[in-house]
Amino acid sequence: MKWIFPRGCFSSILQPVLLHSNPGRPVSCSTVFSSHKPRIPLHLRPPTSRATVADLKKWHIWAKNLVSSVGSTFLDLDNGPDSTLLQRELTWLVQDAFENPNKVSFQNSNDDDSVVSLRACLDDLYEMWKQRIEERRPFQYVVGCEHWRDLVLSVEEGVLIPRPETEMIVDLVNDAVNENEELRNGLWADLGTGSGSLAIGIGRILGDLGKVIATDLSPVAVSVASYNVQRYDLQDKIAVKQGSWFEPLKNVEGELAGLVSNPPYIPSDHIAGLQAEVAKHEPRLALDGGANGMNDLLHLCSGAVFMLKPGGFVAFETNGETQSKFLVEHMDTETKGSFHNVKIISDFAGFQRYVTGYKAR
Amino acid sequence: MSFRLLQRLRNQKSSLIFNSPKLFTHFYSSLSEPRYRNSPTPILKQSIFTSGHVFCCRNNGFSPLLCEIFNIPCWSISARLLSSQAVVEQSTSDGLTVEGIIANGWTIYNEDESDWKSHASAIAQSIHLIKKRLRWKKLIHRLEILSDQLNKPDLWNDPVHAGKISREHGSLMGKMKEVNAFEQELLEHIDMIKLAREENDSELESESQKGLLTMRKHIKEKELEALLAGEHDTSSCFIEVQAGAGGTESMDWASMVMQMYMKWAERRGFGVTVVDEMPGEMAGIKRATIRVHGEYAYGYAKSEVGAHRLVRISPFDSNKRRHTSFASVAVIPILGDGFSRVQINESDLRIERFRAGGPGGQHANTTESAVRITHIPTGVSASCQNERSQHQNKASAMAVLQSRLDQLEMQRQAEMNAEHTQSLTDINFGSQIRSYVLHPYRMVKDHRTDYEVSHPDSVLEGDLDGFILSFLSASLDKDEDADL
Ligand SMILES: C[S@@+](CC[C@H](N)C(=O)[O-])C[C@H]1O[C@@H](n2cnc3c(N)ncnc32)[C@H](O)[C@@H]1O
Repeated sequence: MKWIFPRGCFSSILQPVLLHSNPGRPVSCSTVFSSHKPRIPLHLRPPTSRATVADLKKWHIWAKNLVSSVGSTFLDLDNGPDSTLLQRELTWLVQDAFENPNKVSFQNSNDDDSVVSLRACLDDLYEMWKQRIEERRPFQYVVGCEHWRDLVLSVEEGVLIPRPETEMIVDLVNDAVNENEELRNGLWADLGTGSGSLAIGIGRILGDLGKVIATDLSPVAVSVASYNVQRYDLQDKIAVKQGSWFEPLKNVEGELAGLVSNPPYIPSDHIAGLQAEVAKHEPRLALDGGANGMNDLLHLCSGAVFMLKPGGFVAFETNGETQSKFLVEHMDTETKGSFHNVKIISDFAGFQRYVTGYKAR
Repeated sequence: MSFRLLQRLRNQKSSLIFNSPKLFTHFYSSLSEPRYRNSPTPILKQSIFTSGHVFCCRNNGFSPLLCEIFNIPCWSISARLLSSQAVVEQSTSDGLTVEGIIANGWTIYNEDESDWKSHASAIAQSIHLIKKRLRWKKLIHRLEILSDQLNKPDLWNDPVHAGKISREHGSLMGKMKEVNAFEQELLEHIDMIKLAREENDSELESESQKGLLTMRKHIKEKELEALLAGEHDTSSCFIEVQAGAGGTESMDWASMVMQMYMKWAERRGFGVTVVDEMPGEMAGIKRATIRVHGEYAYGYAKSEVGAHRLVRISPFDSNKRRHTSFASVAVIPILGDGFSRVQINESDLRIERFRAGGPGGQHANTTESAVRITHIPTGVSASCQNERSQHQNKASAMAVLQSRLDQLEMQRQAEMNAEHTQSLTDINFGSQIRSYVLHPYRMVKDHRTDYEVSHPDSVLEGDLDGFILSFLSASLDKDEDADL
């Protein structure tokens, strides 16, 4: 694989931060874009295709029948989507594919000959929906985006589709920076950024001086995250760097105001049994947390002690109660005295999902 | 020549003119001498004649335009404006008032009939109707209360309240001024016509005739606007449809009703989004909430509150029997930021998200991100699942919850309010307002107004304006003239 250095590799954001705090030390910059070119999400593609209302109706009926045929088979099989949910996804696909999504009432149109502008040709629409139902390709990969918080993030194969549970980490960070203005204008890290979701969510609540470094080992993730960062015009605030966990952060040891991560946490032998959308399509690198799923969480927790500055905030997402308790236990014993105000917080579904704490002063 | 006249008029010390109406009239009549009328500067003539406030000032205090023309500081009369304009009836030079015109009972002919009495009579009727629709007496009363409050020196200690008061004052004042301007214009035209006749000025007469006709057309539109003068009528709204008892058959009906409103809203150019939808097991919906976004969405949609009844051969009945089903409709305004809204305490909320079983997080990839929020103290809840992120679903559900709580609060306040008369939103959620009969005959009939049509299909396709407007006018126009 070929690595190329992007423009602004020693990104102007980090340079002041890094050079200022570490005078004289060279910046080991691993911000790279692979040769990978991010895929444009459907709703941002140019509306260059045309189809008649009649043909669209035909496609739509076909797609709806495919949906009905699913019933609850996927749900019963592996907790996959049922036809109610698939029906909703079909509506969203239509919305994304239309040039003017506010006028998607082609189903009521009596004018079969009129022509509609689309962002994908009719053949592609057939193909997309076939992949969705027959191959269980995740809907978000089909349309190339995931709506997450108030963001619309580009995603594609090779990048984890951000989960709704993870949205709350941004709220936790928001609470933390509301309590402490110093954190708002500090340097943050999002480790294993994937699509860049957490980095972008956090980047948008930080103050003028606040910065985020987002890292990932996966070159596809780095390229997609960079694309999303640019889409939200945050390239001056967020630097995306490639490398394993803390490796790209060597220069900012002890300087982070905050660190968040949603690392892979699924126990290795659970992965095969997950719903097809996840097991067959999402990157294993983003899911596999080792034998008990704790490998990366423990590694990150220990590393955080060295990366955070006194008073710095940390938040991890976990698999649930067992992992959260395990992690807190680890903080109490292995990194004794390093963290205070350690808490387990539940997600909306009531699962003990997040562990948060502050680096002792 | 006439220009110099006007200048002279301006240079007169205002006291002279105003303290002596006779003098003023006299002065005016000198203007209408032939040499002036033949003046080659029609624009100037226009500006004096059509603004002819001279006629009204006798009964009317001073009109603001007069102040402008004669450079009288307006503040000196603004305090009197409210009471004088509203209470003192305007009249023509020979004492004819708008009510007088109505009392004369002049026959109203078609618009193309150029009979000034017919035009004047039609306009007077419209003014009367608009005043009635605006609940004129109450409006004046409310304005007085608001003016009092605005004059309080400590008003702006509570800027939110002050903003609300001054906004309401501004809006009511605007309505009042508009009606007064209509009255004034009507009387001026009449004066002008009489004058033209005295002077045998046929050109002037036909001009004023035309003026009356234009006015007559314009004021018809205003009649419609006055139907939507309620405090929240301009707001966007939520429309909620709930299936009545009767299983699949009524769930199917509920979804037809929802479709009807979505199509209606689209036709009207409103934005529509489905916020919450609970599908039935076999077909249709158990309930749904749609958001209708646009100016006056609430003003129109509020007419639809109540139970809607369908009679048809059920497509779900293998014996092809006739079924009657019900769906109830509720409409909730979405109050703008400026209105006092119920403060919701985060700690009073229970927020649930629906999701398929399993441990969630990285295990599952679902686009399902429904949220339900319950306001524990009141038990009111709202859910949303049609947005594409949980965050957005939560925001959407919060908006519905906020509006529901606001509406409850408005109802509570209305009940406490001694002046409370039955308002539209009080109409019982369950009372039957309309029947849609598809079998054995075809018709849709509104039980409140008896308005009916014989083509249910087009109604179900969203052609509802006839029903809505007839209901609005019936409910606002039925009261006797008590409010005038
Ligand atoms: C569960 S995903 C989370 C993605 C994203 N933060 C989110 O919440 O949507 C875990 C991410 O960690 C990345 N990752 C896995 N091993 C890594 C490593 N050794 N160093 C850095 N990133 C790694 C994966 O590529 C993946 O993007």
